[in-house]
Amino acid sequence: MANGEVLGTTRIVEAGPPEQRWNAVIVSEGYRSDEMAQFATDARQFADTLLSVAPFDRLRAAINIYRIDVTSTESGAKDPKKCNGTGAKPRTYFDASFCSNGIRRLLIANNGRVVKVVSKQVPQWHMAFLAVNSPVSGGSGGPVATFSRAPGAVEIAIHEMGHTAFGLADEYEYYSGCATDKGHDKHSKSEPSQPNITTNKNRATTKWRSLIQPATPVPTTSNANCANCDPQPSPVAVGTIGLFEGADYYHCGIYRPEFDCRMRNLNRPFCAVCQQVIVKKLTPFLPG
Amino acid sequence: MVARKSARKSKARKAAKKISKARKAPAKAKASKTSPVSNKAVRLTFSYDGDDVKLLSQQRTEMTVPPSDAVKGYGKYKGFWAELRSASDKPLYRTVMHNPTKNDAEVFPESPGEGISRQPAPKRKGVFVVVVPDTDKGEDVILCRSTPATKGPARGIRALASEPAEEIRRFKLKK
Repeated sequence: MANGEVLGTTRIVEAGPPEQRWNAVIVSEGYRSDEMAQFATDARQFADTLLSVAPFDRLRAAINIYRIDVTSTESGAKDPKKCNGTGAKPRTYFDASFCSNGIRRLLIANNGRVVKVVSKQVPQWHMAFLAVNSPVSGGSGGPVATFSRAPGAVEIAIHEMGHTAFGLADEYEYYSGCATDKGHDKHSKSEPSQPNITTNKNRATTKWRSLIQPATPVPTTSNANCANCDPQPSPVAVGTIGLFEGADYYHCGIYRPEFDCRMRNLNRPFCAVCQQVIVKKLTPFLPG
Repeated sequence: MVARKSARKSKARKAAKKISKARKAPAKAKASKTSPVSNKAVRLTFSYDGDDVKLLSQQRTEMTVPPSDAVKGYGKYKGFWAELRSASDKPLYRTVMHNPTKNDAEVFPESPGEGISRQPAPKRKGVFVVVVPDTDKGEDVILCRSTPATKGPARGIRALASEPAEEIRRFKLKK
């Protein structure tokens, strides 16, 4: 028996017919029926935040955002004690739980069920978000970007959207941490398919060559000690596009386009290369 | 010498213009030549459990499909992507994806100053979705994935894709 019900769908940002626009959907999880007004507020805030992020702020005319109201029998998400959680086990529609794979902040729901509901409610959806009614910090990626109500958790959803909707790679240069990594010294020679990382340090042929100014050194940074992350600060001005060594979970042999980016750290803007990818993907959705 | 300097300046101006364009309004960039923008699509939903990938459903929908990534090249690329192939096995559409079948998970910091990290998550299973244009020429959808490293210190549970991707599954589109 389902722990709640699907109430319906509301388009909260209207840009045009769904078959012609890029459609983002935000679904509620762990909100009781008497908490749906809170979800409406949370969804609105999420939409406002998303549309204030570059380059989405300039692509508003391409984007519809829908809210799917799904009630849960009880409020919150499972928070197992084995991860030092509260032990709460609320009955919720999508079974969201912290502590997936023993990791406290890994908040995962039944994404298969989310995909079914979203596909039925908004058949033209491109990106789905699941807002989980919990103050505990957490989230996850995959077909559905999941995030809690903890301050700043929306950032998780936007980073994950970079992966899911635009095929962007992670730009951080370590796996579990700079000090704890083993086997992450040097990237393989294989060129990654993602558009925002490269092994190619040839200025004339590298992926984002058209955005590199002739005066910018290439590579722009090199890691002197591949056994660790590169500790040097950026030698160039913020926003300079070049080849910065370290990305894709490796300290060396792989380059990112800017010193920092939302695909490297939360609470940063998308770098120019990531923005270009997003713009290219969303341009066909702009009104003709 | 003067001519060379002037050429350098002109190059610099051109590059600066492109960066500025990338950061500013999208204008109305032309869709990629290799990008059939279609209003008919097929949404394929897959399940995965470890390395095992199954097709759960195919849903035809009237919707605009994002432009294709380049359909040529990729022979030696690593990563994960889906392709729409013709009857003669020609790639018609490609979408590069963040590997949805990874055996690890991204873990986010509680405070803004800390970094994102990854942790092994060997029991991961779930679903992922691929949307391709619904065209007369499209016959198959294939999934390509790099095999994780089996040697070296990052093998086993922490293995990451390091070699060029290979076709792992092929599915016939329902007509």
